[in-house]
Amino acid sequence: MDATPGAPLIQIRDVSRRYVRGVDEVHALERVSLDIPAGHFVGFMGPSGSGKSTLLNLVSGIDRPSEGDVIVAGQRLNDLSEDELARWRARHVGLIFQFFNLIPVLSARDNVALPLLLTKLDKAERVRRAETALRVVGLEDRLDHYPRTLSGGEQQRVAIARAIVTDPDLIVADEPTGDLDARNAEAILDLLRQLRQHFGKTVVMVTHDPRALRFVDDAYHLDKGVLLEGEEAARAQEAIRVSAGAAGARGPR
Amino acid sequence: MKYAGLVLANLGRNKLRTALTGGAIMLAVLLVCVLLTMPAGLDAFLNNIASNTRISVHNKAGLVYAMPYAFTRKVRQIDGVAAACAFVWFGGAFEEAGRVTFPNFAVEADQVGAVYPDYDVPAQQLADFQRYRDGAIVGRATMRRYGWKIGDRITLRSTVWPVNLDFRIVGEIPNDRSPLLWMNRDYLDEALKAQGRPAGLGIAGIVWVRAADPERVNAIMRTVDDLSRNSDSETASETEKSFFSNFFGSLKGFIAIILLVTGLVALCIVFIAANTASMGVRERAGELAILKAIGFGRRLLFATLLAEATVLSSVAGLAGVVSTIGITKVLHVFAGWNASLGPLGAFIVTSSVIVEGIFLSLFVGMLAGVVPAFGAARKPVVATLHEVF
Repeated sequence: MDATPGAPLIQIRDVSRRYVRGVDEVHALERVSLDIPAGHFVGFMGPSGSGKSTLLNLVSGIDRPSEGDVIVAGQRLNDLSEDELARWRARHVGLIFQFFNLIPVLSARDNVALPLLLTKLDKAERVRRAETALRVVGLEDRLDHYPRTLSGGEQQRVAIARAIVTDPDLIVADEPTGDLDARNAEAILDLLRQLRQHFGKTVVMVTHDPRALRFVDDAYHLDKGVLLEGEEAARAQEAIRVSAGAAGARGPR
Repeated sequence: MKYAGLVLANLGRNKLRTALTGGAIMLAVLLVCVLLTMPAGLDAFLNNIASNTRISVHNKAGLVYAMPYAFTRKVRQIDGVAAACAFVWFGGAFEEAGRVTFPNFAVEADQVGAVYPDYDVPAQQLADFQRYRDGAIVGRATMRRYGWKIGDRITLRSTVWPVNLDFRIVGEIPNDRSPLLWMNRDYLDEALKAQGRPAGLGIAGIVWVRAADPERVNAIMRTVDDLSRNSDSETASETEKSFFSNFFGSLKGFIAIILLVTGLVALCIVFIAANTASMGVRERAGELAILKAIGFGRRLLFATLLAEATVLSSVAGLAGVVSTIGITKVLHVFAGWNASLGPLGAFIVTSSVIVEGIFLSLFVGMLAGVVPAFGAARKPVVATLHEVF
């Protein structure tokens, strides 16, 4: 993926996404347009049901829009089939989820090496790269540990190592701090920021966590499937800052 | 091969369930393989006991109908017949219970040795058999069963003829599995006459014929049956192998029923294994969603899930095949000293049974795995993520 710093890596053009749930049609996203530059750490914020996870799924090639275009590094994702999207994700996207979702029967090293199974690398190289990724997230002493023997923060670090092991330009994180205490949440946010700073990764994150505002380059706010702009966005951001301040006053969980 | 670690790790996820499922498949394959050895074993058994030069001549109406004893002499005169011996079922019971526990026949003492030279009864014992009217030659299995030895005297009460006869054992058929007892036909004939039946025995149940040359067996059978045509006792001649094959015909029907039941059992195992595989897939829905999200394509996911079921059933099936070989070997050993196991000792695991067992286990694995694997793989990644998160 060609990613020139500052140039838009992700272009979202008039994107709408509608689901049919039972007899109802749910408008998850309505005509959202947005450019995300390469090498930026971007946060999507908003209440539950605002469409932020849907937008993340579209950006990461997990889902396709009902209308509009999603273009990532020049590739129009709408045109790709399910299998082509899977191959594209394997090559270009690192995914991080709220509940870590490691494979419990694999060690940390093997979990991280999973995406490399989809490459042509030999086993020795896969192991080397997995260990390097675990070193980057500070878990070089947990290589052979199984998920059940790791703390929540460590498991999320393993998940981050799994996301970066293929050296993707785009890292997509869905509520990466949602299941962590305050100290671990900050550490994970800091780690994501370092991936941007030191490795030039573009990080797109969905979060409820007001602390995220201190770490991201840009925060976007969604409500009822609409991307807030202007004063509405400023008000939403201010509300989050106030809530972050209140959370800070209470101290870490 | 690079996905083997993932497949094996997933199989080890719930060791108890994997072991129980594998055990069920192993037992099913074992059951099927043991039963599959039966037709081949029966064939081997028949080949073992049947000579290619011996012919059975009996009443065309059935084994329970007799032929005139005089017919034996006519058969003996047919060109190409080396020897012929009339057999009559005595139905002698040795034990108090009064039931027949081993086959015993009245035979022509001067002919039986010539018809059964392959039984290797010593010449001296055959000579004693002719010399003593009350002599009996007994198979080694029956000798061992009752602890008899040559020189012992025994009494048999006939369940067919109105006589109880005392015998002295003068010889042994040196075959560990032979339960036979031969008695002198003339002895029974005299006993019947003494009971007020002036005609004496006068009949032959079966005439066993030995051809001088295997090539002439068919011609002799045709000649024998032509000889009796349009008489009161038309005959049906058949080779010894055919005779025993028909004799065990009911056993073949029994085997067919057992094979049918075994097939249904195997089908049940497929459903059990499929249910287990479905449970495994359902439990891992979240992980499978993540694998899809990080780029595992539908075909790859389908293949790895199918591989799990197939590897498990193949390993279990292989264990079942190995167990079958072990069990039949044990049966073979046991049958050497326990005659009641009868033809079980002759059952052998042929290479075709091994191949069928392995294919059965592969079939079980693939059939059990294909539905849950397809179900898990076909859903779009976003639908899977919505379902589990």
